[in-house]
Amino acid sequence: MIKHLLTVGLFLFASSLHAQSKLSIDNVYAAYLQNSGTIMENNQIKGYFFLYQSDKIDRRTNEYTLQIVDENLNKVKDIKFQDSKKLSLLEAAYNGNSLCFLFKNEDNKTLDMKVYGIDGKLKYTYSREYTKKTDDLMKRYETMHTDEGTNQNVFDLGEQGYASVLPLRDGKTRSYEVDYYSSTSKKYWTYIPSDDDERYANAEFLGSTDSLVILEVMKRNRMMSGKITAHLVGIDIANKKKIFDLDGEDDTYTLVPSNVIPIKGTGRILVMGSYFDKNDNVVKDFSKGLAIYEIDSKGNVLSKTYNSWGKDFAKYLPTGNKGKLDKVGFLYIHKLIRTNDGKIFAVGEGYKRQVSAGGIALTMLSAAAGSYGTTSTTKIVTTDMVVMEFDDKYKVTDATIYDKTNNTADLLLSDYQSQHAIALLLKATGGFDYEFTTSDADNNTFSICYGDWVRSSDYRGQTFNTLRYNGKKFTKDKIELKSKASKMQVLPAKAGSVMILEYFKKDKKLESRLEKIG
Amino acid sequence: MVFSPAAEDKQLLSSLFTKYEQHYRSGLTNLPAENKKSYEEIYQLRWDHIKEVFDKQELYTAPEAQQYLDAMVEEIVKTNPLLQNRAFHCYFSRSGIPNASYIGEGLILFNMGLFRQLEDESQAAFVICHEIAHYFLQHSENSISKYVTTINSKAVQQELRKIKSSEYGKRAQLENLVKGITFNSRRHSRDHEAQADSMAVEFMHNTRFDITGVVTALNLLDNIDTDTLNTAVCLERLFNAKAYPFQKRWIAKQEGLLGGHAQLQDDDKLEDSLKTHPDCKLRVQLLTPLVTRYKAAGKSAFVVNKAKFEILKTNFQYEIAEYAYSSDNYTRSLYYSIALLQEHPDDAWLITQVGRILNSCYTAQKAHMLGRQVELPSPGFFPGYNLLLQFIQNLYLEDFAAISYHYLHQYSPQLNYYPEFKKEYITSSHLIKQ
Repeated sequence: MIKHLLTVGLFLFASSLHAQSKLSIDNVYAAYLQNSGTIMENNQIKGYFFLYQSDKIDRRTNEYTLQIVDENLNKVKDIKFQDSKKLSLLEAAYNGNSLCFLFKNEDNKTLDMKVYGIDGKLKYTYSREYTKKTDDLMKRYETMHTDEGTNQNVFDLGEQGYASVLPLRDGKTRSYEVDYYSSTSKKYWTYIPSDDDERYANAEFLGSTDSLVILEVMKRNRMMSGKITAHLVGIDIANKKKIFDLDGEDDTYTLVPSNVIPIKGTGRILVMGSYFDKNDNVVKDFSKGLAIYEIDSKGNVLSKTYNSWGKDFAKYLPTGNKGKLDKVGFLYIHKLIRTNDGKIFAVGEGYKRQVSAGGIALTMLSAAAGSYGTTSTTKIVTTDMVVMEFDDKYKVTDATIYDKTNNTADLLLSDYQSQHAIALLLKATGGFDYEFTTSDADNNTFSICYGDWVRSSDYRGQTFNTLRYNGKKFTKDKIELKSKASKMQVLPAKAGSVMILEYFKKDKKLESRLEKIG
Repeated sequence: MVFSPAAEDKQLLSSLFTKYEQHYRSGLTNLPAENKKSYEEIYQLRWDHIKEVFDKQELYTAPEAQQYLDAMVEEIVKTNPLLQNRAFHCYFSRSGIPNASYIGEGLILFNMGLFRQLEDESQAAFVICHEIAHYFLQHSENSISKYVTTINSKAVQQELRKIKSSEYGKRAQLENLVKGITFNSRRHSRDHEAQADSMAVEFMHNTRFDITGVVTALNLLDNIDTDTLNTAVCLERLFNAKAYPFQKRWIAKQEGLLGGHAQLQDDDKLEDSLKTHPDCKLRVQLLTPLVTRYKAAGKSAFVVNKAKFEILKTNFQYEIAEYAYSSDNYTRSLYYSIALLQEHPDDAWLITQVGRILNSCYTAQKAHMLGRQVELPSPGFFPGYNLLLQFIQNLYLEDFAAISYHYLHQYSPQLNYYPEFKKEYITSSHLIKQ
């Protein structure tokens, strides 16, 4: 059934407290929705948050109401608190026994992590200053497109607490920091890479185990004449010690890890990524295929399995030489899913560079006018979705291309950026069409969701698509995002469902409902 | 004989609507001049609710049922001179919610969901007398008047002006003001309920109905929300076809946010002071001395027509399932149907209805509209109903088709004579192939 979301406490009385020519509640008070997002635990949607500015307390302070609804859109809690009027909520996460919210406080110039208990009471507040170094991140929040809901930089680490991985930039130096926030005691640490003096290091959170935060770190290695190298880094949650830093220096191939999943009950970790020849440039060159490593919690590599584009994937996909998938282009792996029966699925999306007619025209016009700007003569398009299946020996057993339109990504690019940089940029700016994957607790069934723009005789416009795996096969489903509503949006929801938000401008009404997919 | 839902008398509904609309419009001309706009606005809201009742075709127009209800009301009116020549009318509502209400403009609704659970006519008479009392004592109109006077009073307007001009702390100030108004209004409402109870006893006392129906009805109301259906067992029994066996996954509960305890921690004291209806036990306690005094020989639990009462009770169990379905609440309809199937396992209409709901769920999900037709698990529902909602949430598109087909298939030889069954069976056989 439909639920109306914009009902904060006092709105309930609004309909019954009217006085036309005189004052009524309506024209005395209003609460403003500042932002909203999903609350996730272990990659599953557990609920949603809505932050309202519910009152002004004084010149510098506002009262906020954080409304939390569960996965079935039932209101769970209203948390009221007072804070700076220059407050914005960046991210939220849930770990089974607490909720955490990352706020940006522009007054104090702090990033405040607030951890609430299940009773809605504030347990801990952790603050750290933000500086110019985090400007890039702040900009990213302003233009953020959600990939798995809202969370981009805050992750639950199970019962122990939460971690955030923040990119830092200082002039030309790029680095990162990892922050750990305990939810069981007041404990907080910051990890800043100190064992290397590189001026370029970019970290992506890949996952966690009971004891480790696992990152993919790309850094420029002076020892290797400025070449970018890919590392798999494990940091101990208890004491922020770096437990391992795998760079594959002694391997036949170089692995660029992109996804990890802990193997339940074994202490082992599955790592997937593209692999390259030893002398290849991992940023610019084509990968040879996808590799799956099994490692233990100390970082010891227990097994390595390679699936090459040329041989292994060629059985299922039209691969060309140099590891490029014909028609699809380069492949970015968004998600790795391991089902209970040992199968592994990798969700990829293609992207490639295409000649841009507009870009060429602009360049010619600029040149004719005597100017030589940076207008790109090429554009980046995201292509098809590719789902690959691997057996319990990590060898590819199937791969399917799911057609979608070649959609142009709105990127400010030069013609010379590397495929890896393009992928990172696409991910950070929401240029990919992949939206999110939802699954049940044991991953036996899951739905891969992505957007598309359709131009057909029946329909022309935005669509929301799902590939649902029911334990045996995939079923495709499509929702056309044109309705009577002024605006329609599809958000992640519990396994097997999506949340449809419809805004009716004329009635000033925001409706939400869960729709089962497939 | 297979149940067949009563057809709506559209002409009758249309003429009734016109009649009540005219009544509403003429009432507006008699509103007090002072604060007239405020009054009009509230009466408009009340009328919107009545209009919705008509729009949703909630009124039950079957002539036999209406004649019976008219006879019940007549028994009350003819023995109570105070009620004679009063312009009120009582109708059955097709809603499954166990309730009755006076909704304004002389309209009283007696929900089938309540009637079907009553034991005798004396209990039904008390329910009708209670709602007539609300009408007679003009509780709705008095509440509106009290509210309009309060909100437009000098003190409240001054307070609202003060809040409006405040730059800070508006919400807190407004909440305090609203809390005070709401507290008074709810207390007022509880007083109204107590008054309606007492007045109902007075009305009933004059009739031939057994006055003890007052107490038994209230005791019944006290337990009316008890969930007696073992949904898990029912679902497994119904949907365990050999070719498509029941899967535990279908009723697996997902642990929700904060351990699934999706409820706001209420302020118990405040909650209690804001209750609109006094506790049923308290109501019994308050009325017992009066009922004891009025007990008399020669009164009867059944006065109008016992046989008709029983027939209507039975029919209403089906009608609420049909109405829930036709008003786009598939899950309620399924719950009512499954509950009734426990008593009538071979009932052709109920079996067909289960298949029809599953087929409709398939079609709605395919069109991404199922979310409009099913309810979601909520802490406000009974555990048994929540489990049924979880069941619907857990099913895949192909499950709806397969469960429906295999469920109907087992009845296909013996129910093929029933055209509605055949239609749903054929539909399910098409859906399972898609």
